[in-house]
Amino acid sequence: MSENRLLLRLRRRRVPILFVLPAVLTLLAITVFPLLYELRLAFMSWELTTSEPARFVALRNFGAILFQDSRFWSSLRVTLTLLLFGVAAELVLGTGLALLLNRLRRPRTLLVSLFLIPVMIAPVVAGFQFRMIYHDQFGPLNYLIELATGGRWRGFAWIADPKIALFAIMLTDIWQWTPFLMLIILAGLQSISLELYEAAEVDGATAGQTFRRVTLPLLLPVIIIGILIRAMDSFKLFDIIYLVTGGGPGNITETISFYTYLQGFKFFSLGYTAAMAFLQLIVITVIAQFFVNFQKRQAGRA
Amino acid sequence: MRRLTSSQALVFLLVLLVALLFFMFPVVWMFLTSFKSGAEYFSYPPVFWPKSFSLRNYFNAMAFPPDGRGGLQGLRDSLAIAAGSTLASVVIGSLAAYSLSRFKTGGENLSFWILSTRMFPPVAAALPLFLIFKQLRLLDNHLSLVIANTIFNLPFVIWLLKGFFDELPVEMEEAALIEGCGRLKAFRLIALPLVAPGLVATSLFCFIFSWNEFMFALLLTRRNVRTLTIIVPSLVGGHEILWGEIAAIGTLAIIPGVLLSLLLQRFLVRGLSLGAVKG
Repeated sequence: MSENRLLLRLRRRRVPILFVLPAVLTLLAITVFPLLYELRLAFMSWELTTSEPARFVALRNFGAILFQDSRFWSSLRVTLTLLLFGVAAELVLGTGLALLLNRLRRPRTLLVSLFLIPVMIAPVVAGFQFRMIYHDQFGPLNYLIELATGGRWRGFAWIADPKIALFAIMLTDIWQWTPFLMLIILAGLQSISLELYEAAEVDGATAGQTFRRVTLPLLLPVIIIGILIRAMDSFKLFDIIYLVTGGGPGNITETISFYTYLQGFKFFSLGYTAAMAFLQLIVITVIAQFFVNFQKRQAGRA
Repeated sequence: MRRLTSSQALVFLLVLLVALLFFMFPVVWMFLTSFKSGAEYFSYPPVFWPKSFSLRNYFNAMAFPPDGRGGLQGLRDSLAIAAGSTLASVVIGSLAAYSLSRFKTGGENLSFWILSTRMFPPVAAALPLFLIFKQLRLLDNHLSLVIANTIFNLPFVIWLLKGFFDELPVEMEEAALIEGCGRLKAFRLIALPLVAPGLVATSLFCFIFSWNEFMFALLLTRRNVRTLTIIVPSLVGGHEILWGEIAAIGTLAIIPGVLLSLLLQRFLVRGLSLGAVKG
């Protein structure tokens, strides 16, 4: 009897399930299956550079990463530095630009489109552009510095100087992603009702008060979404590093994604790489969880 | 909000134009470099405006070593992979999005699980995918990149299109169902055409994401398949960097993105924020 009812229910749900099945199967086949595969790998030692066969080593990979690998910790520090300062700068600049654009009337559409070009181009191409700009002999940036200082100073070796290289990477990232935050904050600003501003004006609020008491609180959900999306992307930063500095000089600009790539595809330590990938997955899952929870709350409220 | 006085508006506009200069400069510099001769890009002080706009760099880039069809092959491969993965993700994704939107299949949890696969770091997926494709003998093959890009596009497509289907009133489909139309037919003949703008926008975003993708292209290909995003860094690595030729390839590589940002204004907010912010 109950079996019959189950069949009946399945039949009624047949269309919805059939529709969603190809997508779910694809995503399962190419996310969950590789994940399980990787999880198995993470507990093994498998060095392609030696002829030794793969063997089970339990938690030794994780132990080595967490307690012995200073390069892992340094790459994590680089990643988090870029994330914190880069996203903070993008947020401040993006908010500033959005506030200005929001007050503008007619040329806004075209300006926004032009501002967004960096977001839409491939990060490797953006990296190449900055390679040219940062060039210490022929680059336009050092030329500008020389002009500005009246020839007294000829600028930096942007990507070769250990003190500057990380900043050079950050600047490229800020260049590429500030317009993204600008765009979504502008969308947030435009959804704020003008009546609120009129009310604030009637009450005699100053511009600063209006911003703090009206604009900022209403903008907060959009800002949080923007920060979360950027944090997840920034945590995966790879393309720009590959192109602009290759992780150098030394490993001063090596992000966690880049180090994982080196371990897997240059040093061929498969088990070690898998373990490292898993550790990253934990971090990204935490950030993603914030995003999803926030989305659910927003959806519940709407 | 107080109206700006005209002098205030002018100041605002000026500040924005200075900022725009910063955001446009690298793109303009690459564009101009693609027309410069070697003597012009290896000179100090740097030459801003090339003396003559010759297309020589573009012709050279099309026929790059090692096999004499560098840029041309890059264009072909990038196009094939981006088109293939766009098609696959939009076909599979629109069905799933429809189901999630109309029947709430799997409830919120399925929707959010699908969204969360989008956040997967590619480098974590790279190693197992590499080993699997190696087993299947699909390395250095267009298909492996189409599949890899589809993984990362599919959640995006589903999430975005679900938003469009959510906004569609159900009455028309219900009328069709009463007339004796099947679900698939109602979906194909009524729902899909009504979300056509969303479908176009989603497809274009997908195309750009695959077109710009770098890490999988780097790891899953060797010689047979070389996308534009692979060719650029492979040329930067050498001793003598051919700025002009690389700039030409770079310029070709950004055309779709530039067109998209000019044409798709209306959908940019939603597309770039995974639909989390309604534009």
